[in-house]
Amino acid sequence: MGILIDRNSKIVIQGITGREASMVAKHMLKYGTPILAGVTPGKKGEEVHGIPVYDTLKQACAQHELNTAIIYVPPAFVLDAVLETLANDIKLMVVITENIPQHDVMKLLRASDQAGARVIGPNTTGAINPKERVKLGAIGGDNVERCFVPGCVGVISRSGGMTSETSYMVKMAGLGVSTAVGIGGDSLIGSPPKDLLALFEKDPETKAVVTFSEPGTAFEEDTAQFVLDGGFTKPLISYVAGKFTENMPEGTIFGHAGAIIEGGKGRPSTKVKLLRQAGVHVVDRYDDIVTTLRGLNLGAA
Amino acid sequence: MGRLLENHSKQLLANSQVPVPRFLVAGSVQEAIEKAEALGGEVVLKALVPVGKRGKAGAIKFAANPPAAGEAAQQLLGTVVRHYPVERLLVEEKLAIDHELFVSIALDKPARAIAILASSAGGIDVEEMSAKYPERMKILRVDPFQGLADFQAKELWADLGLGGAALRQATDILVKLYKVFVQYDCTILEINPLAITKEAKVVAAAALMAVDDCAMYRHPELSEFVQLGSDRAWRPMTALEKQVVQVNEADPYRGTARYTEMDGGDIGFMCGGGGGSLMMFDTLLSYGGKPANYTEFGGNPPERKVFGLVKAILSKPGVKGFILSANISNNTQVDVVAAGVVGALRAQGIDPRRFPVLVRFSGVNDTAARTIFGEAGVEYYGEEISMSMAGKKMMEKMAKAYPGGHESQAAHGA
Repeated sequence: MGILIDRNSKIVIQGITGREASMVAKHMLKYGTPILAGVTPGKKGEEVHGIPVYDTLKQACAQHELNTAIIYVPPAFVLDAVLETLANDIKLMVVITENIPQHDVMKLLRASDQAGARVIGPNTTGAINPKERVKLGAIGGDNVERCFVPGCVGVISRSGGMTSETSYMVKMAGLGVSTAVGIGGDSLIGSPPKDLLALFEKDPETKAVVTFSEPGTAFEEDTAQFVLDGGFTKPLISYVAGKFTENMPEGTIFGHAGAIIEGGKGRPSTKVKLLRQAGVHVVDRYDDIVTTLRGLNLGAA
Repeated sequence: MGRLLENHSKQLLANSQVPVPRFLVAGSVQEAIEKAEALGGEVVLKALVPVGKRGKAGAIKFAANPPAAGEAAQQLLGTVVRHYPVERLLVEEKLAIDHELFVSIALDKPARAIAILASSAGGIDVEEMSAKYPERMKILRVDPFQGLADFQAKELWADLGLGGAALRQATDILVKLYKVFVQYDCTILEINPLAITKEAKVVAAAALMAVDDCAMYRHPELSEFVQLGSDRAWRPMTALEKQVVQVNEADPYRGTARYTEMDGGDIGFMCGGGGGSLMMFDTLLSYGGKPANYTEFGGNPPERKVFGLVKAILSKPGVKGFILSANISNNTQVDVVAAGVVGALRAQGIDPRRFPVLVRFSGVNDTAARTIFGEAGVEYYGEEISMSMAGKKMMEKMAKAYPGGHESQAAHGA
């Protein structure tokens, strides 16, 4: 179990012949991830680490049963790649690419919503299910076990790097991860935390969730409301980074493009307050994730 | 998002046949007088700075004749408006306004739509408008695939009570504004006021426009209007910030290096990733540290990018220590980063045995990294300590290296 991905994932990588994408494909394969096909226009007939490459997704779908797409193409081509994915009836996509024009992201998310498809990202390091040994994207690199061991804790992070670090904190607590998802560092993303919490709520393997949050957006405010409304009933631990940004002039980006306080909205202190009011375990210091998890007595990994 | 100066946004609007007041730009008192004369005498002078609500900041002045324009220019030039020095002024004809409307186009992210907010009560700011006249505001959400139909624009204004020639003109203008918004990948396009003049002409009297940095590759014509990276500063970019933008753009597709200079501070701060850097900055502050800058890097940058970044961090006057603390890397090669860091320390003539340097960074190729840092005399940790712990240890190092005190420690004691 876990959410989103498992041994039934049948994966295609769009843009597989790129430098980063082919390296990531290698690491994914080594971990055991079932990658069936890749797509790069004009590269049909080539192979990347034994994975067949096609010119179009339509060709790939004619040869393979596919249900999950990783989009690794440059910013200018992402919108088209997503429309191609939707046209081929693939309902789960991870958009890795950063710095996509916002107008394009808005369109691709709207099209995905209308098609009933789920998008993770953009600007994400991916997602991983350690028990099933499936990972989408660079997450965990080539030494996955360093941070990700199987277990009962879900991880949701707006930061790619901190998805791994937070999973390492879970490991330090003597526990492991059911599924970890980097949701992307932008304010325009396909799957905000509350959407994933809804999935974790239904996953019998997940006993608690840890989230890593940042300034900007209303994701945490929405999460607090979702918890209050009874949408997520398991223990939830949250760390909200970037408290210092409240003392800086508004409208300045620190870190991710989504980490920006505008018009008084997106303040970490507001997020912390609302999450606490909803009964979420908000930790003041990042390392406290470890002690708080231990205190939940979830049992061994 | 890169905010355009008003002369640039108005030029773009004029190019798209949106009526704007006749305007010129002045950089001195004498020029302001001349431009006012050229425009017929009575003018408005506005500070050309990329910030909103200039009226409230006192950065807009009216002048009845050219000598008065000179006086207004005298008052405006050389002032600082929300951290931006006023070096040039927009001088434009004063419209005889009968009524003021408001229209703003922006991305409604949760709705995955382009939102048009229009009001028949313009000339005041949105907060005041929504508080005082909520019934005079309408929002229209447009499907970006469908675009805005003329009739929708017409309905919007008609619902707000417009009729006659004003309705036809405002409709035409809104359709054109929407096209500009899409054409230039705007993140905001606000016209406040959209003026109806005494001659019954509808004119975009004031324009606020920002474009998406990420879309600049398809708008080379805007490159001279928009300073890349300016959305990561709250004032004009400093020399060091511009230097790092250059370092970053030299290898645009390999890794990211960002640098924001803080006021004061004595610890050179470098962190991997957006989230980790926010967490580390909070952590250092909590232990009494005063970072001299905010820096994040990631995406497996080449050595020369790391070198250029660290060199910039270390070259800010007053920097007396350096910390690199990053999460366990997914794809960034730690040994490549190590080579860049050590190279920059050497280039700056820094001996890590005397100048506090601490690194916490494990991940891809970290065995080699440990050797590189070790040989250079840098205190190095992998995941055996947490990122927070690295912050704490850095502060201990600072206290030890500067027993007489340093800025960070003093701040802590205060």
